[in-house]
Amino acid sequence: MNQPILAVEHLQVCYTGKPVLEDINLTIEPGQILGIVGESGSGKSTLIKAAMGLLGNDGEVTRGDIFYKNQNVTDLKGEELRRLRGPEMGMIFQNTGASLCPIRTIEDQLYETVLQHEKITKQEIRDRAMGLFEKMNLPDGERILKSYSFELSGGMNQRVGIMMAMILRPSLLFGDEPTSALDVTVQAQVVREMMKMRELFGTTIAIVTHNIGVVEYMADKVAVMYQGRLVEYGDTKEVIHHPQDAYTRKLIDAVLRIHRG
Amino acid sequence: MEKILEVKNLKKTFYKNKAAFMAVNNISFHMKKGECLGLVGESGCGKSTTAKLITHLVTPDSGSILLNGEEILGIKGKRRKQFYADVQMVFQTPQDSFDPRCTLGDGIMESMINHGVKRREAKQKMLELLRMVELSQEYAERYPHQVSGGQCQRAAIARALAIDPQIIICDEATSALDVTVQAQIVELLRKLQREMGLSLLLICHDLALVQEMCDRVLVMYQGSIVEEGTPDEIIKNPQQEYTKILIDSVF
Repeated sequence: MNQPILAVEHLQVCYTGKPVLEDINLTIEPGQILGIVGESGSGKSTLIKAAMGLLGNDGEVTRGDIFYKNQNVTDLKGEELRRLRGPEMGMIFQNTGASLCPIRTIEDQLYETVLQHEKITKQEIRDRAMGLFEKMNLPDGERILKSYSFELSGGMNQRVGIMMAMILRPSLLFGDEPTSALDVTVQAQVVREMMKMRELFGTTIAIVTHNIGVVEYMADKVAVMYQGRLVEYGDTKEVIHHPQDAYTRKLIDAVLRIHRG
Repeated sequence: MEKILEVKNLKKTFYKNKAAFMAVNNISFHMKKGECLGLVGESGCGKSTTAKLITHLVTPDSGSILLNGEEILGIKGKRRKQFYADVQMVFQTPQDSFDPRCTLGDGIMESMINHGVKRREAKQKMLELLRMVELSQEYAERYPHQVSGGQCQRAAIARALAIDPQIIICDEATSALDVTVQAQIVELLRKLQREMGLSLLLICHDLALVQEMCDRVLVMYQGSIVEEGTPDEIIKNPQQEYTKILIDSVF
């Protein structure tokens, strides 16, 4: 058994004193893909925000620990956390378009992102970005870099988000509903691209989604959340085909599938 | 079965910086009474424009739309007002489709009052509609931001039903909702369709949902209808390249 890359132990998170996550325990091993599912407000996003240290002013970890490669990230502050976020833990947001600065080009923000962590030339950054775009079958990388986020479509922006997260080659990649806002055909591309990232770089991925089909396709393990608690956690096939918890059963039953005959 | 809605050679071009964009390119289709018709396709293919054309929210360049055999394009005055009652819509984001400064109850009653129903009767009917969509009476007093997405969508369905429409167009009505909530809304729509004989036009990009609910489905691509048939026919034996990609994209 490998050393886990991320271990969450008895985690409790509160927003303005009110607990939103209670007693969460889970581990992710290197190279694994974890799917986190559950309804809106069940605490899925809070869980990955807690690991990334992005809970904001109102939220805090009130009990328990989150270990990233044996380092307790809940104790980290400022500079230590900044160094970890990016090259070690990366994140793709639901709406990358909104998470980018609207008055600066993609290129400009890309340089800023990379130069915070590495001493390399702009040319090298560009080459690396082009390489990633190429792997994602995105032609016209030059044009994308020169664009502003509002000039790109949702799918393009989302792939820019993946590229910006991957350019620092993080060991662990979080995705907060990275494909939910996309068309099914574009979603399929983005999902396949994330799988390719694991194949090429061995990236560990934790993805929040409410698309059970995506989880089934991508994830090795799945965590089902309900009202701030982890109600079920195990191998994807096991959980989907033999759900134990009442909520998981309801969730799986509610999923419509196409019958291809 | 008789045709409740017939669309012939409908066209709509939008202009942006003098460049023409053909949003709906010469489409023709019909809908039978009591039928659930699906309309699928990617963003920007013209699905929502088609819905807006049918509901008179957008005026077409040319073509014809028949409701129960009568031309409805260009009608005015009383007939137009009656037509607005006959075709109702349920939108993708329920919270945005209600006035934030009105209670859900007032939102549901508005169309009835506009059609001359007395306030007291309208209130009675509103409460009855809330029951029908399985919301308790207290929701009439709530504002859109005080309820969940699923509850708000139920209220939006109640509002659509308020003036006894013949056709309801659901424009991605369940895509913003959790899967468990989506299943409840789908169940509700089916129940209403069965009990009230409603005809539904279901715009969505979830093929599984279409297969579950629809009698027939139209596939749109770049402003045209590229394929038409029962959901099973289309999913099991897609003819067009785009339809194949769409089906392959479902995990």
